[in-house]
Amino acid sequence: MRYALLFVMALPAFPQGSVARGDKLFAQGCAVGYCHGSGGTAARAQRLRGRTFDREYLIKVIRDGLPNTAMPAWGDRLTDPDIAALADYIQSLANASADVAAPVVVDAATPAAPDLGSATPPEHQRGRELFFDATREARCAACHRLNGIGAAVGPDLLKTGAIKISDGPRVIKYGRPRAVRTVVLKDGDKFPGVAVERNGTRYYDLSALPPVLRSLTQVDIQVVQRQTTWRHLTATRSYTVEDMQAVWNYVCWVAAKR
Amino acid sequence: MSLYAQNGATRDNWPHYGGQTSAWRYSALDQVNAANVSKLTTAWVFQSGEIDGGMQVTPIVVDGVMYVTTSKNNVFALDAATGRELWSYHYTLPKGFTVFYGPWNRGVAVADGRVFMGTLDNNLLALDAKNGRELWRVQNEDVNQCGCNITAAPLVVKGKVITGVTGGDSAHRGYINAFDARTGRNLWKFWTIPGPGEKGHETWSGDSWKHGGGSAWMTGSYDAELGLTYWSVGNPAADFWGGNRKGDNLYTDSVIALDIDTGKLKWYFQQVPHDVWDFDTAYENVLIDLPLNGRTRKLLLNVNKGGFTFVVDRTNGEFIAGWPLVKNLNWISGVNAKGELQGRNEPVVGKNKIICPSIGGGRSWNQGAWSPKTSMFYTTGIEWCEDVVAVPETPKEGQVYFGGTFKLTRKPMQGEAGGHLGAYDPISGKRAWLYEYKYPLLASVLATAGDVIFTGDAEGFFFALDAKTGNKLWSFQTGSGHRGGPITYAVNGRQYVATPSGWGSALAGLLPQIWPEAERFRAGAALFVFALPEGK
Repeated sequence: MRYALLFVMALPAFPQGSVARGDKLFAQGCAVGYCHGSGGTAARAQRLRGRTFDREYLIKVIRDGLPNTAMPAWGDRLTDPDIAALADYIQSLANASADVAAPVVVDAATPAAPDLGSATPPEHQRGRELFFDATREARCAACHRLNGIGAAVGPDLLKTGAIKISDGPRVIKYGRPRAVRTVVLKDGDKFPGVAVERNGTRYYDLSALPPVLRSLTQVDIQVVQRQTTWRHLTATRSYTVEDMQAVWNYVCWVAAKR
Repeated sequence: MSLYAQNGATRDNWPHYGGQTSAWRYSALDQVNAANVSKLTTAWVFQSGEIDGGMQVTPIVVDGVMYVTTSKNNVFALDAATGRELWSYHYTLPKGFTVFYGPWNRGVAVADGRVFMGTLDNNLLALDAKNGRELWRVQNEDVNQCGCNITAAPLVVKGKVITGVTGGDSAHRGYINAFDARTGRNLWKFWTIPGPGEKGHETWSGDSWKHGGGSAWMTGSYDAELGLTYWSVGNPAADFWGGNRKGDNLYTDSVIALDIDTGKLKWYFQQVPHDVWDFDTAYENVLIDLPLNGRTRKLLLNVNKGGFTFVVDRTNGEFIAGWPLVKNLNWISGVNAKGELQGRNEPVVGKNKIICPSIGGGRSWNQGAWSPKTSMFYTTGIEWCEDVVAVPETPKEGQVYFGGTFKLTRKPMQGEAGGHLGAYDPISGKRAWLYEYKYPLLASVLATAGDVIFTGDAEGFFFALDAKTGNKLWSFQTGSGHRGGPITYAVNGRQYVATPSGWGSALAGLLPQIWPEAERFRAGAALFVFALPEGK
């Protein structure tokens, strides 16, 4: 390994513009808080200063992250040139002294990395906000998962292609999901539930939001009834008809994009 | 002595994160005492097998069974006398999951035959205390949306499991949730940042309330007589820059008292209006009753991350006293008679500034201990400073939202960087003694009726000090640094002292910025249990 490290250190100087760009990006996204520390001096995450890394390895880790660790994937937030600039900057730290005099002063005008929602066109931003609206307990994402966010309690909405855009509010409001049953327990408890597995004893309890995944046993359950008083309206009351249409337009747009 | 009537002391059991719900971390057991603590010997050792992130847990002991968590949300039930494993529960994180902050967990809550734990992917779950079988789980909020999770032990009282979330350094709006211990159903939710139409909303300019942080990331306290649960709300986001959140930013950096049944706010005391230092009010709320000017007052003591201690009346939030814990403290000059901050020294956009203490805190989250026997509050403190620059930033939901960068400075403004453990009068802050140490002390403190103070250091020594003098009475090398919570309990009349050992945490990661050798401090994750030799 020592041999390989020497080889890496012998690389030619990095493009100055790229290093400067990487420096800014690093200060904004990597040095912050408890992550890599100012100038890569180490914090909770690895020290990057004074160490040598393979360039391809750096690019892969920045892009894909390190699963099951705190290192996130930046591939969907940064462009390829920006990831390359970060790799250039980190490689430029290889011979830096362990100490940093002062934190990097970041130019406030540096363009920020785009967030996940920015790929949504303006006409669907409202629908997206409503779908994931953290300020309301009864939000769509409390039971439906979309773009990797939300709880997969209710059906996958991307498989609802047969429903017309104009049907949205009606379905959202009056839908009577067949998957919802009434689960009656021997201790007297009773709740609208969605089975997690066929013939299983795990149910999502919808009587309060967020839904509760209850791992029951046959001994706990008195009976599971088909009829239920639960309606989709129970969970969607906080949305107006206009809201529902906006949400539905957004869902249809996501579905079409797939 | 009337102080014992508060019942904040533990005995055979260690039933809550902070001992009892008053968070004293004080045990009435005195079989192990200042006279014989030097004879302590190991009873058993538990190896968790999961060393990433160290071992930050405070174990719970109920009726001879110890419940321990490890990093990545594994739970073990052990025979508290022998260390024999009774059952274990291994949590499965979603595939490819990105861990926020770090993989650690600080413990469970136990009540009514159930064990409750918060998870790295923001679930709260209940296990059967008999066999570790999962009974229910509920997701607070999608971790990818909020940039938050649960690392603290929940508080379980009156059939309710109460938990906050991390996320104060993310563009996120904090909350505290209460769930039904039996079913997992949400009973109430308290937003730590008031929404439109709610009182306090006017303390946030524009839309800043939506992403203002305010995470309650440590365990709350509870006063059964008053029916109030006390929580500490952390910093507003962005941490170092407040240009787009003009106002006091309620209820960040506040101690809040909530009605246990409804979650409604009874009172609040904001320690740091419009925080721009990341000086969370996040730590333990110690509930103590003391005579003041001729009458007994129900008080609440809280040390904040800025290294300042506030004491308030816990029936109404009235300010009683405030005192600094560290000498390196320049972000304020002090507080006035109403407890209001004086002489604010704020980070500046685009310009370096030395601020003390550093973002790591004048103290970290590891708790102090209150001894009603000595009437002293025992707490660690850290002397260090940082070079900080504020940076305007646009929030992106669930993403890191810091508003600045910092670097610890090698030497603080006064003396050397390092840690200490002191004995303080809770009202005046007058110090009886100070035990100084080369590095920050990052483990919680345990006080006992045997007049012994226990804690552990960064180099792996678990040690005992004389509660009255601070003299070291005993120490034991456990092989890895200390970041968890030592406890004491008894089984069949024998007193045990237990401590987690396992270096790791966000702060442990910052240490090499001052002490390069700290990068090589050895990882680990084990629990050591001590007792006096049998037959004595």
